[in-house]
Amino acid sequence: MTETRSGAAFPVHGVRYDASVEIRNFSIIAHVDHGKSTLADRILELTQSVAERNRRDQMLDTLDLERERGITIKASPVRVFYRARNGRTYMLNLIDTPGHVDFGYEVSRALRACEGVLLVVDASQGVEAQTIQNAYLAVENGLEVLPVINKIDLPNADADGAIADLEEVVGIPADHAVKVSAKTGENVEAVLEAIVEHLPPPRGDAEAPLRALIFDAVYDSYQGVIPFLRVLDGRIVPGDRIRVVSTGREFEVDRVGFFEPGFAVSEALGPGEVGWLTASIKDIADTQIGDTVTLADNPTDRPEPGFKPAQPVVFSGLYPTDSEDYPRLREALEKLSLNDAAFTFEPETSEALGFGFRCGFLGLLHADIVQARLEREYDLGLIATAPAVVYEVTTTDGVTELIQNPSALPDPDRIASIREPYVRLGIYVPEEYVGNVMGLVQEKRGEMKDMLYHGKRVELRYEVPFGEILYDFHDRLKSLTRGYASMDYDFLEHREGALVKVDVLVNEERVDALSVIAHRDRAYEVGRRIVDRMAQVIPRQMFAVPIQAAVGGKILARATVRAFRKDVTAKCYGGDITRKKKLLEKQKKGKARMKQLGTVEVPQEAFLAVLGSEE
Amino acid sequence: MAPSLYLHVPFCPHVCPYCDFHKMRRDERLVARYLDRLEQEIDEQAARYPGRPATVYFGGGTPSHLSDAELARVVGALERAFGFPGTVETTLEADPLTFDPERLARFRDLGFDRLSIGLQSTQDPVLRFLGRAHDGRAAMQALDWALASGMRVNADVITAVAGQDAERDLRTVASSGVGHMSVYSLTVEAGTPFALRGVVVDREREADDFELAAPVLAEYGLERYEVSNFARPGDESRHNQSTWRGEPYLGLGPSASSHLPDGVAGAGAFGTRLRNPPIRRWLEGAPPESEALDAEGVVVERLLTGLRTREGVDLDRLRELTGRTPEAMAPAWWRDALRHRLLEVEGPRLRATADGLARLDALLRTFVQAL
Repeated sequence: MTETRSGAAFPVHGVRYDASVEIRNFSIIAHVDHGKSTLADRILELTQSVAERNRRDQMLDTLDLERERGITIKASPVRVFYRARNGRTYMLNLIDTPGHVDFGYEVSRALRACEGVLLVVDASQGVEAQTIQNAYLAVENGLEVLPVINKIDLPNADADGAIADLEEVVGIPADHAVKVSAKTGENVEAVLEAIVEHLPPPRGDAEAPLRALIFDAVYDSYQGVIPFLRVLDGRIVPGDRIRVVSTGREFEVDRVGFFEPGFAVSEALGPGEVGWLTASIKDIADTQIGDTVTLADNPTDRPEPGFKPAQPVVFSGLYPTDSEDYPRLREALEKLSLNDAAFTFEPETSEALGFGFRCGFLGLLHADIVQARLEREYDLGLIATAPAVVYEVTTTDGVTELIQNPSALPDPDRIASIREPYVRLGIYVPEEYVGNVMGLVQEKRGEMKDMLYHGKRVELRYEVPFGEILYDFHDRLKSLTRGYASMDYDFLEHREGALVKVDVLVNEERVDALSVIAHRDRAYEVGRRIVDRMAQVIPRQMFAVPIQAAVGGKILARATVRAFRKDVTAKCYGGDITRKKKLLEKQKKGKARMKQLGTVEVPQEAFLAVLGSEE
Repeated sequence: MAPSLYLHVPFCPHVCPYCDFHKMRRDERLVARYLDRLEQEIDEQAARYPGRPATVYFGGGTPSHLSDAELARVVGALERAFGFPGTVETTLEADPLTFDPERLARFRDLGFDRLSIGLQSTQDPVLRFLGRAHDGRAAMQALDWALASGMRVNADVITAVAGQDAERDLRTVASSGVGHMSVYSLTVEAGTPFALRGVVVDREREADDFELAAPVLAEYGLERYEVSNFARPGDESRHNQSTWRGEPYLGLGPSASSHLPDGVAGAGAFGTRLRNPPIRRWLEGAPPESEALDAEGVVVERLLTGLRTREGVDLDRLRELTGRTPEAMAPAWWRDALRHRLLEVEGPRLRATADGLARLDALLRTFVQAL
């Protein structure tokens, strides 16, 4: 999780609580790269909540990783004030949301704190898969949708086409759509006017018992857990004794505040407001995202139903490269899971890698981000095993279990049946690429269910094994369609399949952490890809190391890591011995992302060989 | 048994761009202070480790760059303090341009019976690239004079230099009848002018030349007895063999190392390694850096040096000394190294095979990694 670095003191701006101010709470949702964060930046500039001199691109993306990758991962809130043309001043609470398909769960959390959304559509791209998915999510949550057609400065922009798309494909009335260029700032003020005019104000009762929804949280080493709240009814002031509804735990509020977008202190939080509180909450388990906060002496009888918990769909093992870091890894995972409710972990043991954790993620990007945050924010050296989906196995004695780790698959003679997860896959693509897409999905054992024409764009609907689209599918889809295709998927069901476990042997010993499950007809291909990729990424060794893929006892594919031709120091006399010994010690410490399997030094990338693109 | 002696002379007529030994150009006042301090150190150390050594080795730097009188003064001090020459072997490192037959006779008179010549190559472009002052003709002339002097002779050759015909160098030098050759792959050491210039050694070329040396030199009766050292049977460097066996030696002079069994403050149960400071601080009398050895460190050292040699490591003696065996310390490593024929065991001796010798650094890395 994010450790705030604010230390003990938050800035105090002497903000007076004013119950009469009008509020609009909204999120911005979009397909990835359609300009959501840029629009958020312009809104902040226009409302001057961030001085021009402090302006950085993507100001709301607070994690280093977000800025680096140019994507938003965490929903992050901010409060601004806008003086509208009608002469009234509005408090706008903007909650930026992630755009990547993995982070749909973050979007749904953010939406619970809002009455409306800006649905951003790139005028040059039109409606994409996540435009549809996010728009449906907003509508399901009862939110007002305000379309914003972005990037109208691009030469190939077709704003009217995008508006027509929205109405026809998504079924969202677009008469109020605002056409803007977030990049140049053109017409962004009209967005603010439209927010004030078309998005509904929050309805809350200041006199009713406190009812506040926890929609996110961070951990601060001084303040403890800081929940992010949307107040539905009632007010919170410092000194209040609050109760967390699901656990019954009570805390005394130290401070409350809002986001500017950093933490700012205020006198109170009232109905409709979005903010945070501190209450010396030390235990991460004491506040669950989706929970309701109320007052201990005047509790609400209408707690929020809570969020539908996000189910992790992809699992991978995380192991410290230095086994002494195991307790630190556990602590880091606990903190991280606090504000990433979709992430799960439990201890597991690998013969090859020792003690670690099996972690559940929403998708590969999510897994990648979590690992990067652990390494960067917690300074941990990690080995991650290849992400895998969850299989259902029924054994011959009639017991059904869920298999999150391929190496845990029972022996074939004990298996009555294996079922793998299927997803509904939607692909949205210009019609000239339909043939390429069909070929690709067929290769992945996908079954076409529908094909819908929207003008020159085609929506292809498939049912496909999730495991097949996990690794290189998205990249290949993009390259086969010159980047034009977009996709989304949701979980369908588990279906029986002819699945086998592909084992990997390094130096003739099976490495449990490298096993994968594959369809019998594709086992050779998968095995081939793993061994070839491993042979590429494992550096030369002191002897030629065979890398083999096997099903049962049968070797399917083999590659060889070559031996050094010469790796020996020329001179080693009396004066060189100490220096040489020190070098050996230094080299030993320098193997942060290497794991020694027997005598073979295996780098982190090798454990992800199954992900390797087919070059 | 008295330790062997190593004496470091840090002065060179000129400084070669690949060398990372402790060395400098000659400066008369510095040489005078060096000799004074050296005499003092010789006396101090002889009080602790008295007795005539089996082997004495003058290394550098360029020891032959000292004048006859200066050499005589150092030899005299050693003779008084420890006894000189060594009972078995007394070596002087020499640059080809620092001696002629007369000077060789004076070396012999002083007690030196073995000369190690920094010949490096017989090819002029290679010698120029290496920044050597001599040409190929001078190199061979020096070698012939040395062989005619009656001393035992070593010639150093550097391989893996771009544009070098390494085989021709090896054959030219070996056909002189020299009884010992040291053949080193050019190594670009950090901080040297070569490193600063970004000189890169072609790894394939380096491996080619490495594989070439043993079969070519065997034709001349020179057998590999250490990674980089070849000798006719009986003509091995006894001094270096002793250090590779883990036997004690005493280092004298700036930056010289010692490996001593005991008698020093902070000595571990398995002896101590010491390294004198570089010349300025050595002249001021600054103490050496010391490292107390433990059982594990001794095993690492014995593998580090012993596996480089044809005689290998005596596992029985190692176990008697340390209570440890590499097999028990790193079972998977042991099994793989034997299975892949990088190491072989014969009686009590553990040896690197030809493949193991070529990849010894990787073997040692993985051994230390497994600890």
